[in-house]
Amino acid sequence: MPVISSYSLAPYSGKWETDDLLHLLRRTLFGVGHKELEFFRKKKLSQCLDVLLTPTTALKPPVQEDPDLTDPLVPIGTEWIEAPFENEMIDSKRSEALRSWWVSRIIGRDFSLTEKMILFWHNHFPIEMNIVKDARYDYAYYAMLRTHALGNFKKLIREGTANPAMLVYLNGNSNKKAAPNENYSRELMELFTIGKGAETRYSEDDVKAAARVLTGWKDNKQDIRSEFDPLLHDSGDKHFSPFFENRVIRGRQGADGAGETDELIEMIFQRTATAEFFCKNIYRWLVCAQMDEQTERNIIKPLAQILIANNYEVVPVLRILLQSEHFYDKAFRGCIEKSPVDFLVGVIQQFGVTLPSDISENLLCSVIIHDFIGGLSMIIGNPPSVAGWPAYYQAPKYHRWWINPSSLSVRMELVNNLNSSVGLKCNGPYIKFDLTMFVKQFKDPENVDLLIDHCVELLYAVRISDAAKNKLKSILLSGQVANHYWADAWQKYIATPTDEEAKNIVETRLRAFFKRMTNMVQYQMI
Amino acid sequence: MNRRSFIRNSAITAAVPLFLGALSACNFHTRRRPQNKILILIQLIGGNDGLNTLIPLDNYERITKARPSLYIPERKILSIKGTNSAGLHPSLEGIKDMYDNDLVTFVQGVGYSNLVLSHFRSQDIWLTGADTKILSTGWMARFLETRYKNYPQGFPNQKYPDPPAIKIGDTGTFLFQGETIDMSVIINPSTGFQAPEVDLPADDESTFAAIEMKSISEVLLQTQHYSQTLKNALNTTFQHSKSYPKEGENSLADQLKIVSKLIKSGSQTPVYLVDLKGFDTHQGQVDPSDSTKGAHADLLKKLSQAVSCFWEDITAMGREDDVVGMTFSEFGRRIMSNASMGTDHGSSQPILFFGRGINAGIIGVNPVIPEHVTVQDNLSLQYDYRSVYSSVLKNWLDAEPTVISDVLLGSYQEIKIFK
Repeated sequence: MPVISSYSLAPYSGKWETDDLLHLLRRTLFGVGHKELEFFRKKKLSQCLDVLLTPTTALKPPVQEDPDLTDPLVPIGTEWIEAPFENEMIDSKRSEALRSWWVSRIIGRDFSLTEKMILFWHNHFPIEMNIVKDARYDYAYYAMLRTHALGNFKKLIREGTANPAMLVYLNGNSNKKAAPNENYSRELMELFTIGKGAETRYSEDDVKAAARVLTGWKDNKQDIRSEFDPLLHDSGDKHFSPFFENRVIRGRQGADGAGETDELIEMIFQRTATAEFFCKNIYRWLVCAQMDEQTERNIIKPLAQILIANNYEVVPVLRILLQSEHFYDKAFRGCIEKSPVDFLVGVIQQFGVTLPSDISENLLCSVIIHDFIGGLSMIIGNPPSVAGWPAYYQAPKYHRWWINPSSLSVRMELVNNLNSSVGLKCNGPYIKFDLTMFVKQFKDPENVDLLIDHCVELLYAVRISDAAKNKLKSILLSGQVANHYWADAWQKYIATPTDEEAKNIVETRLRAFFKRMTNMVQYQMI
Repeated sequence: MNRRSFIRNSAITAAVPLFLGALSACNFHTRRRPQNKILILIQLIGGNDGLNTLIPLDNYERITKARPSLYIPERKILSIKGTNSAGLHPSLEGIKDMYDNDLVTFVQGVGYSNLVLSHFRSQDIWLTGADTKILSTGWMARFLETRYKNYPQGFPNQKYPDPPAIKIGDTGTFLFQGETIDMSVIINPSTGFQAPEVDLPADDESTFAAIEMKSISEVLLQTQHYSQTLKNALNTTFQHSKSYPKEGENSLADQLKIVSKLIKSGSQTPVYLVDLKGFDTHQGQVDPSDSTKGAHADLLKKLSQAVSCFWEDITAMGREDDVVGMTFSEFGRRIMSNASMGTDHGSSQPILFFGRGINAGIIGVNPVIPEHVTVQDNLSLQYDYRSVYSSVLKNWLDAEPTVISDVLLGSYQEIKIFK
């Protein structure tokens, strides 16, 4: 078994090497290339974290951009998030537009952890847009995740409990005094807060009592919000089990009934299990899927105490984790399989692939990139269930769940298309690598050994054997042994960039070289 | 620019014709005629409402009282041969025909004793075959490991030329997850089966990354070993039943069509898993205006249609004695309906078996509906789910008794499901 040297949350005090920086960036951003490395290279660890933990500034909501769609109430170029519902066909178009807009936000990310945290929360506290069936609700849900992405766990869950999309998704809107619906209250405890582990012995009756607390909430399509209807609320007292210290939430009459929801959320967040559940989940996203007993004791439990001490603000916990000795332990390098977003957005970012600047072509591109990511089993906006993606909960596989022969062959087909002279067809426009541009940004690219070392350092989170490097080298040297063959070819191209032949010699070799690099198993890991 | 047509034309998301070139169908002609028994497991994901599937007709007024918004009007219930005390949901026409031809058996009231209403835990309980212990291996994987010893080392071989298990879909399943290795090969209905290149990392387990990469490489190598036979199998020409719906309309039928093709090719894989999603009918289980319509009716219709088309294929290839299918779901649903035209999570469920190898009929008795049903009430347990597994292992897959008790961590009552 791997040996973990440090189980300490003390700040990392070793030498701050490029390798350590790359480890941090791979885990926090989608894709790391020259641009990211240049931006962070001169910064100290604490300065890097200042940037990563600063939320991305507010964004403009999506607008109607689809030239094929006649949305009578929403002209091209205007927002629809507060427009009337119209009809199902138009709504499904809006929802599709929202989901590809979301993907374009991820691709256009800055240097903040925000986008990764939005996806984290989407997995932790999900809705399925094809069940909610109202794009305006979906947007409000997305906006909520965005607001709290680097914010407060408790506030997110409290707000989400009465979020219109969530009320529709988990039937909170049909949870009434006369016939309580337990769907939301069960998932609230099992999946969103306390979790279902050996130490979390809340009872079936707790689920039922919590459902009664939450009776009365409903969504309002007219105003695109939720509201509390006292007539539907069960104003009796609700008794909880010894797990909740036999708490009683006293029934309240009238509009005051909504206050019971606050009490319920407070009660749930008073359980240490809730803080530990979050810390385990975020650990699985950012550090490693496996957790041994020492990790639980020395990392998870102290982090949970920090979360509680900060009244569930997540940034202090993230900062301590991401600057810890434990995080930079060599045992964890490259141990997470890239999610579909890590993989596809990552390869686009890493190789500096540019998307079309024309607005409508750019839209077509993000539509299909959303679908490609979906084809790799991660449909953003429509996770497979209320538990999110199995890669984040299904032991013993966890992140390995993303990789199977079928998904891996699609990953390779995508990257090989990007790495072809034609490019990857994205709904019309093609996008592709500019490999000479990419290679030019390394130091001394004419030195074949250095070039390979630099590419391995940037593209792989794990080292490869000399034998594997030699295979890569023989591609650049066209099977010969003297290093100058590559140096000559590269220098000739640099001296005469317009010489088609010189360019072609360099490009074909680079294509084969990066095909091998991106098709090796190592490229699946961050 | 019409984006829809672009998406359909995209080489990557569209269903590509499987393995253009590289075909040599001759391989399969030379293979001996297989006689192995085959088990098709159909997972109904979300928790199927058994009370509206196999409907008890004694005391029917208690059901109409307990679920006023979603009971099926008695005259719409399909009657089945030889009994007046139970009938089928009107969507199950194909299943009814098979039942009347002695090709179907139901086992009543299957579940486990300490009810867990979480989808995820309950699915794990069904797939791992353990309810009190938390296991990280599937019950079927544990059985297959005893038959395919040391898998994947030394496989495929002459005796076992095909994968131990096949999962149709785009991801693997807990059911086939062994201690370290996944016993299944995954075939994606839309992209088919492709064997990717493998670059083995150094054999070193000192970091988590090395362990992960080793495991990925093993999956890939395994797949490569089977790639040629699977490619040939999927390229087998076979005239499927004309009754199949159009592709994309019924995901279960699409999956079973691939299974039928593999069986036709002579594949000796003994176990397949397919699934149908959407049974978590908290809301909109039935249409407010007509309880024989709605989400549950649509799902049962898909199930019935898929199973009967598949069975036509099996009959056409003369393999009726070798193939048996079985459904299961993580739980049944509550006796009482809720206020959203749906039902919440419940307990035991009827299990459907089909094939010529089974004792047709109904095993067990109708569930008892209390006179005054409350939201707490659940159907009682008649058969532990491991009794079903145990009978499948013993009487269909010919497992030794000691193997069965090792796989299921104990001995369970035998149910006379098989002839």
